Amino acid sequence: MPDPQIAISVAVPLYNEVENTPLLFNAIKTVLEQVGKPFEIIFVDDGSTDGTRDALRSLAAEDPRLRVILFRGNYGQSAAMAAGFQASRGDVVIAMDGDLQNDPADIPLLLEKMAEGYDVVAGWRKNRKDKLIIRKVPSRIANRIICNVTDVRLHDTGCSLKAFRGEVIRSIRLYGELHRFIPVLARIEGAQITEVVATHHPRRFGESKYNISRTFRVIMDLTSLNLMIKHLRNPLRFFGTVATWHLMAATLVVAWLLYRGLGVGLTLETLNVPVTLVFLLSVGGVQFLLLGLVASLIVKTGSRRGMNVSPIIYSKDKK
Amino acid sequence: MKNDIVKEAAQAQKISMIICNSNMDAEVDGLYASAVEAAEKINRPFEIVFVDDGSKDHSYDRLRALADKDARVRVLRMRSSFGEAASLDAGLKHSSGSEVVFISARVRVNLERLPEFFDRFKENVDLVVGWRYPRRDGGMNRLISWFFNRMAGRIANIRLHDINSGIFVARREMLERLSFYGDLHNFIPVLAAQQGYQVAESKIEQKPGKFRRSRYPKEYVQRVLDIITVFFLSRYSKKPIHFLGFLGSLLMLSGVGILAYLFFYRVLQFGPIAGRPLLLLGTMLLVIGIQMISIGLLGEMVIFTHAGDIEEYNIEEILN
Repeated sequence: MPDPQIAISVAVPLYNEVENTPLLFNAIKTVLEQVGKPFEIIFVDDGSTDGTRDALRSLAAEDPRLRVILFRGNYGQSAAMAAGFQASRGDVVIAMDGDLQNDPADIPLLLEKMAEGYDVVAGWRKNRKDKLIIRKVPSRIANRIICNVTDVRLHDTGCSLKAFRGEVIRSIRLYGELHRFIPVLARIEGAQITEVVATHHPRRFGESKYNISRTFRVIMDLTSLNLMIKHLRNPLRFFGTVATWHLMAATLVVAWLLYRGLGVGLTLETLNVPVTLVFLLSVGGVQFLLLGLVASLIVKTGSRRGMNVSPIIYSKDKK
Repeated sequence: MKNDIVKEAAQAQKISMIICNSNMDAEVDGLYASAVEAAEKINRPFEIVFVDDGSKDHSYDRLRALADKDARVRVLRMRSSFGEAASLDAGLKHSSGSEVVFISARVRVNLERLPEFFDRFKENVDLVVGWRYPRRDGGMNRLISWFFNRMAGRIANIRLHDINSGIFVARREMLERLSFYGDLHNFIPVLAAQQGYQVAESKIEQKPGKFRRSRYPKEYVQRVLDIITVFFLSRYSKKPIHFLGFLGSLLMLSGVGILAYLFFYRVLQFGPIAGRPLLLLGTMLLVIGIQMISIGLLGEMVIFTHAGDIEEYNIEEILN
């Protein structure tokens, strides 16, 4: 709920960050007090088991500007961020990681950019302090791919430090592992997006929760988002295209059969392999057509038809 | 005003026993007697809600007689058979106790040890699932059940001996937050654990006597499908593409690999490929792989367009 009392909300998901929590809270508080606008800090604990919860309880008891959401279990970063965003009340909502690798001192920079009228300002870790091979290189490749697929031109979508217009972020539904694609989701809602260079520190306490095994899942999420962006308005077109490939292949094999087989006088017994190919491909093709029909039904009954996929996504020069 | 508060306090202490019955008229009276006995031992106010799920035998007449005799008994009759999940749901809506005992008449348990379930609640547990022990079902039945529970336990990461024992005690607020339909009530422990609720189990004796021996092959298949349900529910319900996409890509790539091999085999003149079953295998893998990915994408579409209804998290507490 927007609240005239609060200008800035900072939402931070936490999972087993017991040493970082008080430091982070103090750092954010100091910066926001300097900014001088009314603010709230929202810490969402994603089922920590290392005492983060107790640390949060004592911090919340001292300062009413800190709101704490404690999850019953561990539901993942997307859920934690979603809960933080939904609970936020500020005109501007700032998201950051709980590991102190983002610097709260960058918040004023983000706010400055927001004042220029953007809806999303993303941080760009130009000098990233992480391991090259397992973190930086995959991240750079992923960013290039995300850029090209989604048309959201950012150097660093993976940086958690971001500022959002309150209405925009509260209208986005985060689920699964979509927290990596918040700018893309915001773009689907028609947001204006830009970026600023942000400082990045090496990790001091605790352990990184990332590993390279997520690459495949990121690719899959990207495939699915790409479908949502491009084909949600007419899913039959997408599935129909795949069906057409199948049916065309089937037709080609049939044509070849007619030309090679029957022309020379071969019997169907010697040609059972191509015949079976035709069967497989035709069945596949018909199934895809049906899938497309079901997809149209789903989109039609869904609550998100119509409002999404605004044409703004395709205007590349609008930055 | 004061009366209301007193009433509310009593309500909070009240236990609701929801007993699902479908064509078990021989069991009804016995169940009633043992439920009352167990509830009196627990020594808290209680109500018994019998849900008659479209029985065609004399169940309803017997239940009516019970309701006439005892004011604590309430009877709901479903218009036709809607299944246990629907019965539980109806029972929840027509009862008010803060803790709910669910008993399915079909499992024929002895309720003597029911008070032990309530002891577990003191340890901050939200759901206590019955563990039929000793169990009086047929050997094959037990073996399959054992296998199912091991698999489901491993997949969903819960350590229970008897996931769908047909008897459990749960806090009302938890049941009202979980959404179950169809046969999903069988997986309430999985759904609850996934949401971060504390799940425990307590032993309960199964009555000796005639056990159901004739299991149709259909039911074995059902069990395997149940495991898949648990797998999907506990891991991929919000991201089907992560699973189907993985499997699909694997199949598709092996299909492409086989076809590529055959292609070069033919092009480089090693010999004919037309008669080779490998060609069919490659094509089939490719087609199945693509289909799997597409179904995964369809699933993603369902979730994306219905994301408004999704709440993936469960908040335990909000400070300030």
